[in-house]
Amino acid sequence: MEPHIYFDEVNERQGVFHRRTFLLGGGLALVGAALGGRLLQLQVAEATHYQTMASNNQFRFRLLPPPRGRILDRNGVAIASNRPDFRLLIRRDEVNDAGATLDAVSLLVPVTPARRRQVMRELEITPRSVPVAIANDLSWSEFCRVNARLPELPGVTADMGESRVYPYGGAFAHVVGYVSKISQADLDKAKKTSANGQVDPLLLHPGFRIGKSGVEQAMDAELRGRPGGQKVEVDSVGHALKEDPSGDVKAIPGSDVVLTLDADIQSRALEVFGAESGAAVVIDVRNGDVLCLLSAPAFDPNRFVSGVAEAEYRALHDYDHQPLLDKSIGGLYPPGSTFKTMTALAALESGLVNPHDRIQCTGQFFFGGRYFHCWNHKGHGSVDMNTAIKSSCDVYFYQTALRIGPDRIAEVADAFGLGHTFELGISGQRKGTVPSTAWKKRVNAHNPANQTWFSGESLSYGIGQGALQVNALQLAVMTARLANGKKALLPRLIKSVGGKERPRGDQFGDLPFSQDKINVVRAAMQSVANDVGGTAYRQSQLNLGDIKMAGKTGSAQMHGYGNTGSGAKERDTTNLAWRMRDHGLFVAFAPYDDPRYAISVILEHGLHGTNAAPKAVEIMKVALLKDPDMRQRIERPLPADEKPAASASPDMSDAPDESLADPTEAAPPPPTSPSPGPR
Amino acid sequence: MTTSAISRPGQRERLSMKLPEIDWRLAFALCCIAGVGAMMLYSCASPTPLSWKPWAGPHLMRFGVCFFLMLVLSLIDIRVWFVFSYPLYVLALLLLVAVPVIGHEHLGAKRWLNFGPLSLQPSEIMKVGLVLALARFYHGVSAKDARLSFKLLIPVALIGVPTLLIAKQPDLGTAILIAATGLSIMVLAGLTWRILVLGGLAGLVVAPAFVMFVMQPYQRDRIFTFLHPEQDPTGAGYHILQAKIALGSGGFLGKGFGLGTQSQLNYLPEKHTDFIFATFAEEFGFVGCIALLALYGLTIAIALRIASISHSHFGRLSAAGVTATFALYVVINAAMVVGMAPVVGVPMPLMSYGGTGMVTVMIGFGLVEAVRVHRYAEITSGRGSLLL
Repeated sequence: MEPHIYFDEVNERQGVFHRRTFLLGGGLALVGAALGGRLLQLQVAEATHYQTMASNNQFRFRLLPPPRGRILDRNGVAIASNRPDFRLLIRRDEVNDAGATLDAVSLLVPVTPARRRQVMRELEITPRSVPVAIANDLSWSEFCRVNARLPELPGVTADMGESRVYPYGGAFAHVVGYVSKISQADLDKAKKTSANGQVDPLLLHPGFRIGKSGVEQAMDAELRGRPGGQKVEVDSVGHALKEDPSGDVKAIPGSDVVLTLDADIQSRALEVFGAESGAAVVIDVRNGDVLCLLSAPAFDPNRFVSGVAEAEYRALHDYDHQPLLDKSIGGLYPPGSTFKTMTALAALESGLVNPHDRIQCTGQFFFGGRYFHCWNHKGHGSVDMNTAIKSSCDVYFYQTALRIGPDRIAEVADAFGLGHTFELGISGQRKGTVPSTAWKKRVNAHNPANQTWFSGESLSYGIGQGALQVNALQLAVMTARLANGKKALLPRLIKSVGGKERPRGDQFGDLPFSQDKINVVRAAMQSVANDVGGTAYRQSQLNLGDIKMAGKTGSAQMHGYGNTGSGAKERDTTNLAWRMRDHGLFVAFAPYDDPRYAISVILEHGLHGTNAAPKAVEIMKVALLKDPDMRQRIERPLPADEKPAASASPDMSDAPDESLADPTEAAPPPPTSPSPGPR
Repeated sequence: MTTSAISRPGQRERLSMKLPEIDWRLAFALCCIAGVGAMMLYSCASPTPLSWKPWAGPHLMRFGVCFFLMLVLSLIDIRVWFVFSYPLYVLALLLLVAVPVIGHEHLGAKRWLNFGPLSLQPSEIMKVGLVLALARFYHGVSAKDARLSFKLLIPVALIGVPTLLIAKQPDLGTAILIAATGLSIMVLAGLTWRILVLGGLAGLVVAPAFVMFVMQPYQRDRIFTFLHPEQDPTGAGYHILQAKIALGSGGFLGKGFGLGTQSQLNYLPEKHTDFIFATFAEEFGFVGCIALLALYGLTIAIALRIASISHSHFGRLSAAGVTATFALYVVINAAMVVGMAPVVGVPMPLMSYGGTGMVTVMIGFGLVEAVRVHRYAEITSGRGSLLL
């Protein structure tokens, strides 16, 4: 029996094995079919999806920064442009040992320990794919030297980029501003404003600079342009393997911004200020174009492009002449006697004052239990409006202001642009203060006891002191409107962006004053500059033929205005420390007979307006000489029937005729320090 | 001597008689697979693609040596295999036990034993040893006992002990493979379906607990990542995602030989080892993949056919066991690459670069060929009669 059972047993085991093997094979076939189905899904149905993903893996776009738009003056002269910049970049994702690589680089080009630390720090914080600059502004020979050794320096690239340059240095430091490396704050802001919370990779590029102030900041979006891309094949760790020029996207350069400024006028203005502190603004009175918007002293914006050293910045910041402040629009000063033009116009407008009304000036005015002094303690005698402006008589305006009240003055000042900010396109303008009874109520809203307007305040208001504060641009606008005589023109700084003209400043309404009344003030301003008794007679001569300037001096007290009993000696601030001295102001326009340019000059702590006037003359001269019409007028040929040149001949000689003609007649010689100057 | 497989009684077995009995179709299929592997290794060579260095050349040389080894092993009488099956298993078990004691640690796992310049992975020996030991055991067990009896505790122990030892190393992939191989031999030998169903249900209950409490954190992460690879595209999901991109972007016909960007640009991790199937899929597309899977399927079919024509139960089960291991390799690797299984370190046999796996596989096929050559050999009464 044994063999039989054995045989059955064998058969049974074999049968089970065969059946199960068959099932195993079938199961495997099923698994194979499932795999095939999955492959069908991935490789046929979803193939395009994965092909896109593969190509996203394979190709990257290497950022090509766009050239930043230039900033030009009204004649197309570049105020801010770009120059080639050879630099050395290092990429973290292609470098194993950054320290060793930097050591190798420092054998070729100088890398200071401080710079080295900075590079190491930047390598830490920048994203892997973004390169970091090791050195900027390499010389051509350094650039060549590094280029020859590049194969030994993996991860280091020598790159020719563009760098911002300001050919006029400090002249446009405030108005045009400067660009600089992007800060963390800028990045955070960009992150917040972007749609997807991601920062535009352009901002992280080591060559990228963002506008930090002035036009560079205000027009940053227009100047920036759009980055292009260089298509490169990259492997999984970001090594670029080869370039694909057919897939490149061109960078779109930033738009050029044309300003109304004139580079010659602006640089001359900076020149005449020398080491002194102040602001000068020139406006074309026909269309409101700002030809000069200067703040002095200035700084070199080129120093800020590659990052200014801490110590240098500190020095600029701590200097008491405040080179970092834009005094032309952001510096506030009492306008002093330049404001008497406004008081006079307000008086005429009120109908209470006739220009021929005379007021007796004894050198002081007793009011409210104390004396208000005139700058000339001897007194001006009997003065009418013209004389009062010409000799800047304080007593006349004390009384006039008292008579018409603050609100009428404020109304005129407001109409002439004081207390306003304008659509310049750049930030940093400060409004200043034009006081009135309503203003006083407003600022003392929480302190009803202080809301009353005291008549004593009107006195100082009348001569441009007290709470009144203006900036140089407002003064220039005021002068330009006076010069224009008709239109309430608005200043324009940005002429065109990317070839598109910005709205002109000459579509303005008329001034709400009659021409006759304005002409009274204009005539008085002409007397200031051209009558021998005028406060700025000697300082206002253009010496440009028959072109005459009209102006008004002013000196603004820094401290202690209205201190009872302040005498002449105390008013003389010449011997005080620089910071304590009075400001000198001068506003003017020229030519008087056909006004074209208005100017305002503020000389910080310049004692008095007669010190500001010569600067205004120098600046105005450039503006006039650059004007072809004026040039023609100055250089016109000698009329055939004219008498031979005599001492009184006004037009021909370069020499100042009147000063030669009657040097002795100048009744009150324009005050020179240390005598008190006109306010 | 008893009757041999091919020689008549009293006739001396000669090489010339044995060699034609080797299944040359199977040998050719294996050469084809290894050839495709070498081709892919040549294509995705790094750092310079399309190069015999550093992988394709050594791969082919190793395969040559292993192929020769397979031929030599195929000439060894299965009764010799039979006699040495338990000793081999015991040896492998001893080495496995030795691993935690004197093993060499690499990347946080102790899997290697170093003997001078030679390093050895005992789990690889166990793959062959377990198949032989189980076949040896079932050879002497009746069909009834193989269905369900207390005797089956022996194969359970034979499988369980090395599985646990390997899982401890930790090498979950190999442990699963060993356990699955052992289980498939038990099933092929006739294990009742009831146990399978009950075991399956128990597994469903135990598996979550196992995942949460027994697995290493990195292993757990792999499973979660497998379920949701999109959640972490740059981290743990990177492998899966890049493999999918490689596969999918291959499309229907593939990008062409040497033109796979995912592998050439190193986006595909492990492109020459565990993920070589993705490298292949990218360059040869859906058509290539189906052809390759068909080639593997053909190889498995031939091997199963060899198992089923063997006259001895030991021959049947050992050949089928080796084939099951091979099939499990292919299935697990392919499923992992196409994203149907979690990433476990299982190579694509004969294609993936790496020596140890290839040696094991070719020794296994040496056993299969030996079964084929000696398919008529009789092994009586559960004991090898050749030497004992």
